[in-house]
Amino acid sequence: MKVKVDKTLVASIALHLLVIGWGLVTFSSRAFVAPEESLPIDIISSDQLAKMMAGQKTGDKNMPKPKVEKIAEAKPEEDAVGKVTEKKELIKTNSTPEPPPKPVEKPVEKKPEPPKPVAEAKPKEESKQEPKPQEKKPDPAKEDPIAELQKKLETKKPPPKPPEQKVAAVQPQQQPKPKERSFDPSQIQRDLDKRATTRHELTGTALNASAALGSTTGTAANNVATWRGAFQGAVKRCFTPTYNGQDADQYEADIDIPMKIDGSLASEPVVVAVRGPSRSIAQAVAESAKRAIVQCQVYSFMPKPQYESWKLIPMTFGLKDML
Amino acid sequence: MNRRRFMTVTGSALAMLGGGRAFAQGQDRLRIDPTAFQPVPIAITNFVPGSPSDGDVGNGVTQVITNNLKRSGLFAPIDQAAFIERISNIDVAPQFQNWKTINAQALVTGRMTRQPDGRLKAEFRLWDVVSGQQLAGQQYFTSPEYWRRIAHIISDQIYERMTGEKGYFDSRVVFVDETGPKERRVKRLAMMDQDGANVRYLTRGSDLVLTPRFSPNSQEITYMEFGQGDPKVYLFNIETGQREIVGNFPGMTFAPRFSPDGQRVIMSLQQGGNSNLFAMDLRSRSTTRLTDTPAIDTSPSYSPDGTRICFESDRGGRSQIYVMAAGGGAAQRISFSKDDTNASYSTPVWSPRGDYIAFTRQGGGQFSIGIMKPDGSGERLLTSGYHNEGPTFSPNGRVLMFFRDPGGSGGPSLFSVDISGRNELKVPTPGFASDPAWSPLLSSTPG
Repeated sequence: MKVKVDKTLVASIALHLLVIGWGLVTFSSRAFVAPEESLPIDIISSDQLAKMMAGQKTGDKNMPKPKVEKIAEAKPEEDAVGKVTEKKELIKTNSTPEPPPKPVEKPVEKKPEPPKPVAEAKPKEESKQEPKPQEKKPDPAKEDPIAELQKKLETKKPPPKPPEQKVAAVQPQQQPKPKERSFDPSQIQRDLDKRATTRHELTGTALNASAALGSTTGTAANNVATWRGAFQGAVKRCFTPTYNGQDADQYEADIDIPMKIDGSLASEPVVVAVRGPSRSIAQAVAESAKRAIVQCQVYSFMPKPQYESWKLIPMTFGLKDML
Repeated sequence: MNRRRFMTVTGSALAMLGGGRAFAQGQDRLRIDPTAFQPVPIAITNFVPGSPSDGDVGNGVTQVITNNLKRSGLFAPIDQAAFIERISNIDVAPQFQNWKTINAQALVTGRMTRQPDGRLKAEFRLWDVVSGQQLAGQQYFTSPEYWRRIAHIISDQIYERMTGEKGYFDSRVVFVDETGPKERRVKRLAMMDQDGANVRYLTRGSDLVLTPRFSPNSQEITYMEFGQGDPKVYLFNIETGQREIVGNFPGMTFAPRFSPDGQRVIMSLQQGGNSNLFAMDLRSRSTTRLTDTPAIDTSPSYSPDGTRICFESDRGGRSQIYVMAAGGGAAQRISFSKDDTNASYSTPVWSPRGDYIAFTRQGGGQFSIGIMKPDGSGERLLTSGYHNEGPTFSPNGRVLMFFRDPGGSGGPSLFSVDISGRNELKVPTPGFASDPAWSPLLSSTPG
């Protein structure tokens, strides 16, 4: 038995498949997938966890072994989101030789703190605590705080530690709060520095106290919507079309903008098309738009890693909202 | 599946895919729509004098250009005190960075030199400061007394190059000049440049004159005058000063206006308690009746192509605006107030661009000047007040001039406003002024 096959039907199906396949290939665009930020994770099975938690039956109870091996002290980094560090210059304000920067930060940060917590949180516990901070208060006020710091640095660690220990002894619960920012005279320059913050990796015992700010490998820079909006805003600032008639909403100009990676124009913007009841007015709108593009450059905020996506920016300038 | 069906399906699939691509492209384009209009900052330098004696004329030309562009509302001339560079030779390209620094987008430089034959030679260049390119450059020769006209022509060149539209500065306005106390007001026909300069009086004020209108070539004016008998429509030749009555009708004739080709005058003729529209051929002096209703039809105005007429009529009980064919026939009412059903519309005038009809609207105790499309849609009131009346379009249809009477013991004054309702300005006149009519652009009119 021979089945009759309609050749036109076969041809139709074949062509449909061809067209659909061609369309899928041609018009498919790469989905925006944010690159994942990888974190090292050790996978531990439930059995392994149980074994780890079970402990040793033969172990010496006098010397209990911690359930988890301590790798390092969880020591918060003072300021992982520091400004550009040029700490050597700071030291020059004093005649003392360059001290290591870290010790400088520790006492200074902790010194202003004692008065506050003691006064606020501990008035009821012990009246003995009150005189102590009062005694300490005049000290920083008398001398230049930076000079005082230097003196304390010269005496190395012991001098700053006692007050720290005292406070710690009285208020062990205050320890989680040392991240409160306070005025640090030795870091005036750093605080005044308005340059973009830099982040440095933290390893080992240090914890990043400002993890919420994200890392330099975050995906914000890849956000296309961000640079599109910024670019629109920048050009709009300079766009002053010379037409405000009642039919202004009918005028549009399509302009392609070739860009360099530094945010300047690679060449003159190209008027692709103009639309509107009057061609001469539409052309004038396009010229206004070109002036705006050239006048407002350089668009240095454009994300360099995404240069390929804004190498050529197609734009439409309209007067829709003019009235 | 037959072949036709196959083609249909395939075609629709391709169209769908193509449409999808176009949509995708539209999505990819960044779009900018400025939310507020801002005038373009422009630097206009003093015209460099060819000799020391030409300095005053050069500065005068600069001042007129600056004033014109500023009053247009589209440009913001920069104060010369802010200029960093002084232009001494217009044949050398300016240092554009100096002009960018003061935020100028365009720069005008010029030179004024007196020729051996006594004429003035005016040259100007318009520069795009941002791109450093010359946008326009022209030179003109004229008699010294017409230096203002040169300034207006240069203003039009700058306006046209920057906006893409024809300018309106090289034009005149004819109006009714009013002097004396209110009860014995003397009304004379007067003519001036659109900026209020060069006022000329065309009549002596012995008879009352109303509704003057320019002919398309700006050489003649038609108006209504109350003489010894009935008020009549007259034709006045500006060059010769001669005047003649248009037609010889038994009743009162009023509200005349030229057709776009200048061959006819359309007007109202009173017959009994009614008035109807008539058109008169100026060559053959033959008249054509356009309306025949027991109502008052008046204030006719031709569309720029001469095929239609808008006019006001109270045939519906209240004065409204109607549109009909230039040869007469059925008229269609186009004025319908949405917010005030008791509002009346009058003094319609068709824009030279054909896109709008301007009118006076009376309602809610106020007189407003507004515009609407010829089909009655898009009505927009541009200004309102105690008494605003008699709009007239600038030659490019972008600006309206009208008169405003504040009431009391004072008198009317002329004002201008652009068709977006912005930039309302008082037009300087020597005394009180009413009934303005804007001429066509002088530099482009025939004859």
